[in-house]
Amino acid sequence: MTAIQTERRPQLAPASLSRASFAITWRNLIHIKRQPEMLLDVTVQSVMFVLLFAYVFGGAINVPGGGDYKEFLLPGIMVQTMIFSSATVAIGLTNDLQKGIVDRFKSLPISRSSVLVGRSISSLIHASIGIVVMGATGLLVGWRIREGVVDAVIAIALLLLFGFAMIWLGIWVGSMMRTVESVQGLMFTVMFPLTFVANTFVPSQTMPDWLQPVAEWNPVSALTQACRELWGNGPAATTSDAWPLQHPVLMSVVWSIALAAIFAPLALAAFRRRSRD
Amino acid sequence: MSVAYALADSRVMVTRSLRHTVRNVDVMLTAVMLPVVLMLMFVYVFGGAMDTGTSEYVNYVVPGIILLCAGFGAGSTALSVAGDMEQGIIARFKSMPITSSAVVMGHVVASVVRNLVATALVIGVAFAVGWRPDATLVEWVAALGLVVLFILAISWLSAAFGLLLKTVEAANAFTFVLLFLPYVSSAFVPTNSMPSALQGFAAHQPVTPVIETLRGLWMGTPIDTNAWLAIAWCGGILVLSYAWAIWLFRNRTSS
Repeated sequence: MTAIQTERRPQLAPASLSRASFAITWRNLIHIKRQPEMLLDVTVQSVMFVLLFAYVFGGAINVPGGGDYKEFLLPGIMVQTMIFSSATVAIGLTNDLQKGIVDRFKSLPISRSSVLVGRSISSLIHASIGIVVMGATGLLVGWRIREGVVDAVIAIALLLLFGFAMIWLGIWVGSMMRTVESVQGLMFTVMFPLTFVANTFVPSQTMPDWLQPVAEWNPVSALTQACRELWGNGPAATTSDAWPLQHPVLMSVVWSIALAAIFAPLALAAFRRRSRD
Repeated sequence: MSVAYALADSRVMVTRSLRHTVRNVDVMLTAVMLPVVLMLMFVYVFGGAMDTGTSEYVNYVVPGIILLCAGFGAGSTALSVAGDMEQGIIARFKSMPITSSAVVMGHVVASVVRNLVATALVIGVAFAVGWRPDATLVEWVAALGLVVLFILAISWLSAAFGLLLKTVEAANAFTFVLLFLPYVSSAFVPTNSMPSALQGFAAHQPVTPVIETLRGLWMGTPIDTNAWLAIAWCGGILVLSYAWAIWLFRNRTSS
């Protein structure tokens, strides 16, 4: 009687973090290709904001120190587009968790954090598409970059850095909430004051005295002002004594690092908790 | 006798629609809170930068916010009518001895009630943030009458589109159009501050004369021919939408 030969199954080597993250990023980008309406928030919605404020409201809005309102507006809209990317990541992650996709990923030999890394990279790409669309729209309505290439690139880098920080907020919310509807409700509640109670659309000096400090210390105001200065758009912040608007580039970096430092650990903990359930 | 039956049927359908409203608290809150948030935003965030030729921006913007609020409320009518068509509840109603128009009437009357509650809240918040109308009792009655006429007109228009579009998603897209009109009007900024290409549209669309009439009644600004234009627009939309909605309902449910 011959002994039964037991053939050893080959060990599946766990994919490296970078490979797994790339695969998940690619998966998320394929979703955009298959459902182009996913880009509505950073394309049609943002273009509508530009057209509405530039042509409908723009004629009645006074920019202190003169200057073209369209040039004043575009950096603010670009910052708003970056902030919307946090809602995209939150909705996408909640959807994956709700449908059990993340549970399927857990059965694969990949690092659990690759799900988050992939999601954050794809969201940054998603937001970057928005910046390209906004840049093209801006050029059509009369916006121009008036400073050098280096300054222009620094402004874009600041936008991406802030977008990265906001993505961690999105991951945290996406891991905490159970339904897409509740995510949309919460993100709207967070993003609405964040983007509007700032110098995004109108100068903070025109707001009531009690609201001005809120707008001036809002991280969105610092980033918007930094982009305006680096691109040479609109008046300088000399009319405001607020420290963040006097040092907008530095404050944009500080805010981005601070937000990432706060929300990244919270997001990782929430995601681990949720994917253990 | 048939009129009495029709009224009784409509009352039942209105109660049904209002019950749905009470149970969908999030939808009601959105319809009420969003115009309030928009008003606070326009008054406090944008108001100081807006040059409208008035001393207080709040006095300029309130009529526009009220119509925007009506647009939000009417938008939900299109969704609920389309939802009924999609879910097959209409087919069940057809098997009952009820007046055919009662179902749509229920949605519209409930929409008007919802809108009036939301409008009252918006007016209350407007007073809280410094709106000070300079109107007599007669002018107040005329202004509120025009608001009700506008709400009725767009509620019937929404109901008609809800019947026409069949799906909730398509009806949702229609609400976007309804909400877009007040922005390209004299609601937030004077039409003469817009580019000439937009001025023509903004000055001659239905929302602008309604806003200018309300502004005139409440704040004493010149009304000119806007009052007649507002009544003509609202009355025309109401009559045509009512006829269209009833025709669509009979057509959609006859198969």
